[in-house]
Amino acid sequence: MGKYENQVEFKGNKINTKWIGLVAVIFGVLLLANHSNELLKQLVIAPGSVAELGVPADCRADELEEEGLSLLECELMVSNVQITLVSSPEWFRPLMFLLSVSGVLFAALSISVGFSFVNNKNVNVNWAKSCFVALIVIDAVIFIVATNTGPLLRAQYLWSTLLWFFVHLFLLFAVVSISSKEIEDGA
Amino acid sequence: MSEQLPKAKVVMHWLVAIGVFFLFVSSWWMLSLPLPSEDFTYRQLPFQLHKNVGITIMVMIVAMIAISIVKKRKKLQIQKSRLERLAALDHLLTYFLIIACCISGYLSSSFSGWETTLWWLVELPAWSEENDDLNILFSDIHLWACWALLSVVSVHIGAALYHAFRNDDVIDKMFRL
Repeated sequence: MGKYENQVEFKGNKINTKWIGLVAVIFGVLLLANHSNELLKQLVIAPGSVAELGVPADCRADELEEEGLSLLECELMVSNVQITLVSSPEWFRPLMFLLSVSGVLFAALSISVGFSFVNNKNVNVNWAKSCFVALIVIDAVIFIVATNTGPLLRAQYLWSTLLWFFVHLFLLFAVVSISSKEIEDGA
Repeated sequence: MSEQLPKAKVVMHWLVAIGVFFLFVSSWWMLSLPLPSEDFTYRQLPFQLHKNVGITIMVMIVAMIAISIVKKRKKLQIQKSRLERLAALDHLLTYFLIIACCISGYLSSSFSGWETTLWWLVELPAWSEENDDLNILFSDIHLWACWALLSVVSVHIGAALYHAFRNDDVIDKMFRL
């Protein structure tokens, strides 16, 4: 445990912990929304559902006008669900479900870590590091999971997961740089 | 040191933030699902959840406005700088646009003939019979109000980052529980 001011001086340079906190909170909020949506996706698009049975799309003219869709777009919306179902190996859905739930929990934790940094409270740096390491592991596992599916799902997941991976890597090393300052101060 | 905001307002601010971003990301996805019919029910859960979260956000925004009004009455009028006046305008616009998004969404749903059951418990009244023209009108208002909200929220986040980089105490009140 170490107490951190909003400005930590390191070899003459000041590290502003407040913006690390704010960035952690903002990305935590966005990530929480992202993983919650992934959870919703996995709940809604279930194997054995109607899109897999070859039932034709129901594209009524009034609905098409309401949504501003062409007939072809309406039909392709069913194909969109089929893409997910056909490209998902049996293990994909339960694994993504588990990863999304973990993502929601650790995103919430990263928000509380960010709060501590902004509030200038006693920040448990080990907790903060563990939280960002966990988020990096989740990103990495999602990346590996998506890599082991077909090209259609890879196109949906890989790039956004890579972006999140680097966001969390950035936050982890921001926290590591603060804790290394503590070690140097103690030495 | 910045003023202390009521804890309830701080908590609601962050819950609204999570809710708003969830609604953005989930709405972009759910609109790519097949159009609803007897067979295709993929949209049922996401749309119902969308409406539930939206109405809950609106209730929280109304509560936040009420807290702000009560607090403002107790406060002395202090001369505000140009930047502070702009920030106040941004807050006002954010509140207005969130309420506009929620009301237009609810009305659009109401005129589309789909029922709204709040958290699968309370059935909310439909305002009229199904009316396609009004459904499209409110749906358009919903869409544009939400795009405007996204712009205003971006300014809001940009301003928060500006203050965090300056390391002043402007944003502290939104993080103090």
